[in-house]
Amino acid sequence: MIETRERASRHSWTWFVQAFTGVMLLILLSLHMIAQHFIVEGGLREYADIVDYLRNPVILVLEGLFLVTVAIHALLGVRAVIFDFGLSERSERRVSLSLLWLGIATVAYGAWIIWLVAV
Amino acid sequence: MKTMETRTPERPPPPRRLASGLDPRRRGAGSWAFVLSRITGLGLVVYLYVHLGVLSLLARGPESWDSFIDVVRSKPFLALDVVVIAGWLVHALNGIRVTLANFSFGARVQKAMFSVAMVVAAVLLVIMSVLIFEGS
Repeated sequence: MIETRERASRHSWTWFVQAFTGVMLLILLSLHMIAQHFIVEGGLREYADIVDYLRNPVILVLEGLFLVTVAIHALLGVRAVIFDFGLSERSERRVSLSLLWLGIATVAYGAWIIWLVAV
Repeated sequence: MKTMETRTPERPPPPRRLASGLDPRRRGAGSWAFVLSRITGLGLVVYLYVHLGVLSLLARGPESWDSFIDVVRSKPFLALDVVVIAGWLVHALNGIRVTLANFSFGARVQKAMFSVAMVVAAVLLVIMSVLIFEGS
């Protein structure tokens, strides 16, 4: 199959975003794990500890950034797996749009939980 | 014996059966790396949504959350944590290898890098598993 220039450019752009979010996740996931397991003795498990943890503005920003980054990385990965089945350009656009909405819903849901607990 | 050979060189090869694609002897290190990356990636996506679903218990208040935490401190749940960490280590270390290779770092020694990544993943998994079960 001959790829159009626009399609090839889109694939290389999404690959770069996935690599970038992957590197970001290495940092954010490490911070997430350190904060969850080592800041509070025995790990962050009790409800009251989690509320205290999320009320810290720095943690709130880090967890929010982690949520957005992991959603982008995960759904771009799913998109790449689906595209490997060899879809038409029209189907690829539909898949991309569906995953975009799923990503928005995922981030909105995660933000809602953080908001409920922290505020 | 020459009489056994009946196929002419011009004839196209017979179609490959689906099962032959699943034959591990046909796969090289690069192919295994790709398959592992895809399987662990999809597994981690499933984990992400399960994790987000579980976090909804936080919205129901302290009783729901704290009783749930008592359950996940059990040994079978900790074993599931080890499975998730194994998937994450394989996916992350293989992802680093692929990203470096795409920027032309170590592209010629990719197979060796894959082997090193999997050894590092195994060592880190053992350390993390010990930490998880000792801390429970």
